[in-house]
Amino acid sequence: MKRIEPGFETTSDATFGITRRHLLHSMVAGSIVLPGILQELVASENHQPAGGPLTPKAPHFPAKAKHVIFLYMSGGVSHVDSFDPKPELNKRHGENNLLGSLWNIRRWGKSGIPATDLFPHISSVIDDICLIRSMKSDHLNHVESTLGIHTGSVSLPRPSIGSWVSYGLGTLNQNLPSFVVIAPKLPYAGTQVFSNDFLPAYHQGVRVRPGPKPIPNLSRRSTLAELQEMELGLAATFNKRHLDQCEADSNLAARIQSFETAFAMQQEAPEVFDVSKESDATLSLYGLERGQTEGFGWQCIVARRLVERGVRFIELVDSGASNNWDHHSNMSLHGPMAKNVDQPIAGLIKDLKQRGMFEDTLVVWTSEFGRTPQKESKTGRGHLPDAFCSWLAGAGVKRGFVYGATDEIGLNITEDECHVHDFHATILHLMGLDHERLTYRHAGQDFRLTDVHGRVVKDILV
Amino acid sequence: MSRLSTSFAILLSTPVILAAGGRAEEPGAGQPLPGRDHWAFKPVSDPALPNVKDPGWIQSPIDRFVLVELERRGLQPTRPAPRRRLIRRATLDLIGLPPTPEEVDAFLADRYPDAFAKVVDRLLASPHYGERWGRHWLDVVRYADTAGDSSDFPVPQLYRYRNYVIDSLNRDKPYDVFIQEQIAGDLMPAKDGAQKYERIVATGYIALSRRFGSSTIDYPQHLTIEDTIDNLGRSVLALNIHCARCHDHKFDPVSSEDYYGLYGIFQSTRYPFPGIETLKVQRDLVPLVPEGEFEALMKPYQEELGVLEAERKRLTSIMKAAKEKIREGEKVLAANDIDDDQRRKVELEVSEAYRQRAELFPKWIEAGKRFSETAQKKKPEFEAAYAVADAEPAHARVHVKGDPKELGQEVPRRFLGILGGQKVPEGCKTSGRRELSQWLTDPQNPLTGRVMVNRIWHYHFGKGIVETPNNFGNQGRRPTHPRLLDYLARSFIRSGWSMKAMHRLIMLSATYQLDSRGRIQNATSDPNNDFVWKFNRQRLVAEAVRDSILAISGTLDRRILTTPHPFPDPKAWDFTQHKPFRATYHSRGRTIYLMTQRQTKHPFLAVFDGQDTTSSTGRRSSTTTPIQALFMMNDPFVHEQAANFAARLVAERSTDSSRVERAHQLGLGRPPTPAEKTAGEAYLAKVRDKFAALNLPTQEHEKLAWESYARVVLRMNEFMYVE
Repeated sequence: MKRIEPGFETTSDATFGITRRHLLHSMVAGSIVLPGILQELVASENHQPAGGPLTPKAPHFPAKAKHVIFLYMSGGVSHVDSFDPKPELNKRHGENNLLGSLWNIRRWGKSGIPATDLFPHISSVIDDICLIRSMKSDHLNHVESTLGIHTGSVSLPRPSIGSWVSYGLGTLNQNLPSFVVIAPKLPYAGTQVFSNDFLPAYHQGVRVRPGPKPIPNLSRRSTLAELQEMELGLAATFNKRHLDQCEADSNLAARIQSFETAFAMQQEAPEVFDVSKESDATLSLYGLERGQTEGFGWQCIVARRLVERGVRFIELVDSGASNNWDHHSNMSLHGPMAKNVDQPIAGLIKDLKQRGMFEDTLVVWTSEFGRTPQKESKTGRGHLPDAFCSWLAGAGVKRGFVYGATDEIGLNITEDECHVHDFHATILHLMGLDHERLTYRHAGQDFRLTDVHGRVVKDILV
Repeated sequence: MSRLSTSFAILLSTPVILAAGGRAEEPGAGQPLPGRDHWAFKPVSDPALPNVKDPGWIQSPIDRFVLVELERRGLQPTRPAPRRRLIRRATLDLIGLPPTPEEVDAFLADRYPDAFAKVVDRLLASPHYGERWGRHWLDVVRYADTAGDSSDFPVPQLYRYRNYVIDSLNRDKPYDVFIQEQIAGDLMPAKDGAQKYERIVATGYIALSRRFGSSTIDYPQHLTIEDTIDNLGRSVLALNIHCARCHDHKFDPVSSEDYYGLYGIFQSTRYPFPGIETLKVQRDLVPLVPEGEFEALMKPYQEELGVLEAERKRLTSIMKAAKEKIREGEKVLAANDIDDDQRRKVELEVSEAYRQRAELFPKWIEAGKRFSETAQKKKPEFEAAYAVADAEPAHARVHVKGDPKELGQEVPRRFLGILGGQKVPEGCKTSGRRELSQWLTDPQNPLTGRVMVNRIWHYHFGKGIVETPNNFGNQGRRPTHPRLLDYLARSFIRSGWSMKAMHRLIMLSATYQLDSRGRIQNATSDPNNDFVWKFNRQRLVAEAVRDSILAISGTLDRRILTTPHPFPDPKAWDFTQHKPFRATYHSRGRTIYLMTQRQTKHPFLAVFDGQDTTSSTGRRSSTTTPIQALFMMNDPFVHEQAANFAARLVAERSTDSSRVERAHQLGLGRPPTPAEKTAGEAYLAKVRDKFAALNLPTQEHEKLAWESYARVVLRMNEFMYVE
């Protein structure tokens, strides 16, 4: 790991007569609040001289998963048309406004779990999946529920789950951000969905767009390689002095850190996003054409490459705040939406397995809510936060397993509700984090991802 | 908090309630609308000035409202900002550019008590004021230079509306008139021709509503009108109205009747047509030429088109009739209860209809093509505004469950019930936009004034009194200082809706002039600075980043851009959904003049959290990412401008020491500290050594060394933040 050394420590020693460590310690001593960021800075100084605020931290207890790939389907995927099929609903089509499904139901895999053929590829690996059919969200609107599934809060802005994980565990590769979001478009609520909010700003999700240049300006433009390093060193010196006068504003500290990460990314990132060295067999697993730099298949294969390089939390968004799964008037449009992600996701699972990465990577698939069994408009469905499907796969979860159930038309949960808070508590648990102990003090109060709720769903753990 | 909304959501999502509630098919038949007694709908109060324990701190009535809340919580305001920081703050705040070192020096030298008031007045008089605050308004109205349809057609005339906004703000046009003009300028009296045109251009606000789709067949005008209503609700009233398109609003007192009452007004309005994949020509723009002249210009064109149109329509009706015959015939044949003779007869008819369709099809296609090509290629050129006009006035009928093809009962054109429910007068010969604009700006309207003063406060402080400037409804945040909000709203209206008076009122307060540092013990109980014990340190918005870099490097083109963007010639427009219009145009002008597309973000604006061009942006997000750092490290723009900055330093000063000094003054608004100066000079020496080792000519070292130093200054947090 290459870091910005010259000018960084030496100039500050020589010029100001203090070291970075002295500076930080004096800041902590003189500061009553904002201890979080300072302690992080100091901790990194003490324990790992070459580390930063994203240095790996020990979990609360041994973790099953080291990485998360969070697959987010924007707009509300219909559970009754996918992983929670309802023969009774099809039978009662037309009655009381009920709308039967356009997709056929069958049993999949050795586990024989019933699902429709909306996602044939994903269903073909159902034996590797732990399906939750009793998900519950708190809100009927997209924006609120999208925030809910990401932050646990449907009303007030809060840190994203990726930011919480980054804060709790740091990351394994300082040359890349700890929390990377690959999204062609922004989902509902925009960047707030990946926001660190009150957590120190270097835990925010870094958004990357699919395309030939997913990250602009990655190649160094200086006459001399060394010159760039010297420039960054001097700027960091000036910026740290300024930070010292600004009560250690976390945003300013994060901006200092962002130059360090950016510097390292010049080295490491171009290679991560370049999938040209992948074999034909691997590319075809994801349904990718050689040379393709867009599409969900590309997002999935890059996610695997990010995991290989130690990135802690990767979120893939399939669509955005429009042209998504929100099919109020025509359910058949679920078809092309599913086709876009189906083979890539199944490919990702197969690829993780064949590389032995499935053991320490957790794949999460979810939407913000489900859709009503009743029809809306002509052949569409409305929003349903009361019951929907999500699934987990990989590290630490049962395989070919179904948790929870809904009634015969999929309107209400009948067994083992898994509220979004429970879902979050379980993901943190798999990462070795106790959701009740992963707290951050802000405004005189300890905050958690799960607020005052959440229970770990032990039944789905291995 | 989340549990409370859970139970509410359960209530709402229970199908029984949904079915019984005021669905769009039976407006008003449901339960009482929620949230009628919400604070924002109550009349604006006339609060007495609060008494405070420390009147010595007070410089403006605003300070009383702020201090009384601080005192109540045992908080003390921090010290006043040092003068250098204050002038940099005020200058970036009002004109979006950093102060020059000369302006800073002049302010420091002015020891009169009104020195800061003079600075504020000077900045308010600057033409750059409209560029900064006009940009805020353009965020709110989701301005873009393209239409937003599937091919994202350019709208070359829209710059006139953008400039109208800038100019109106520079002239401190009363806010009520500003709103009235944008909604109904074409229906307002004008004192002369110039004002007439200005007011027509103002309705570009409605005209710029988003377009959808790629075909003129089943053109989704209802979505464009929804976009108009949505934006009108958010921008002027900070209310989310458009939800009521399909059902009564779930959280705010807005019904489907309210929605379709407004809908009728915009359905009675003719929107300009920006072109679309199947007809790549603009139509129904409002000419900015005398009437007789315009008609003479258009006559031959319209006559030619009329002939082609008639032919196309003739063929279309034959095609349609044949299609109908086939449909009918096939139904008969499928029925199985006909005798053979009849069957043969119908079969013959059907096959004849098929033959006719096949024969006519190429002609029909050709006629369509000739029409659309002639319309595009022969269109006379004239000065025009992308603006609206009145169409045939009519009430709208409810779209049942939001489906424009299923019409329910008629709803008279009227205003929102919660805000008075005034109706367009019986027998009104116009769309009702004029009346709507007056209802909106009625001083009794509890929202319009509050919403705008909150926006102004939000932009000055980085956070509104209501933290959700686009949502004053039940789902928005409550005001931290409700009485202050009402005080400001009243002052605003009393001043004749003067924005500049509001800036003065706010900026001359002790509150605005607080430092961004110090009093850190307050952060324990108020870490978000909700009660304004200090000024919020803020990252520069995208525009200020780019404009500041250009200004410091001395290359900013400061002219107001009065020409259209260099779009391709409309006669050659060939955009489709698969090959949409996409462009970025190089410019050294201010960022507000960059061409921005509805569908794709300008790359620079995307990196630095620029506005959302598809829906109203009430507040910008402010992220800090390595992607931004990479921009500052490697983007050609930064390197180019750093070179200009360096050349300027070398030209304007002759020693290392004075150049370092100048660099910090230009970039940060202050001279370097002795330690910084030493570090800077040592750095330059080191860089020169490196270059010397490469055997570059000395003159080259000098240039490269200063370029390097310029880049360092541009990457400093102090440059990137306003304090």
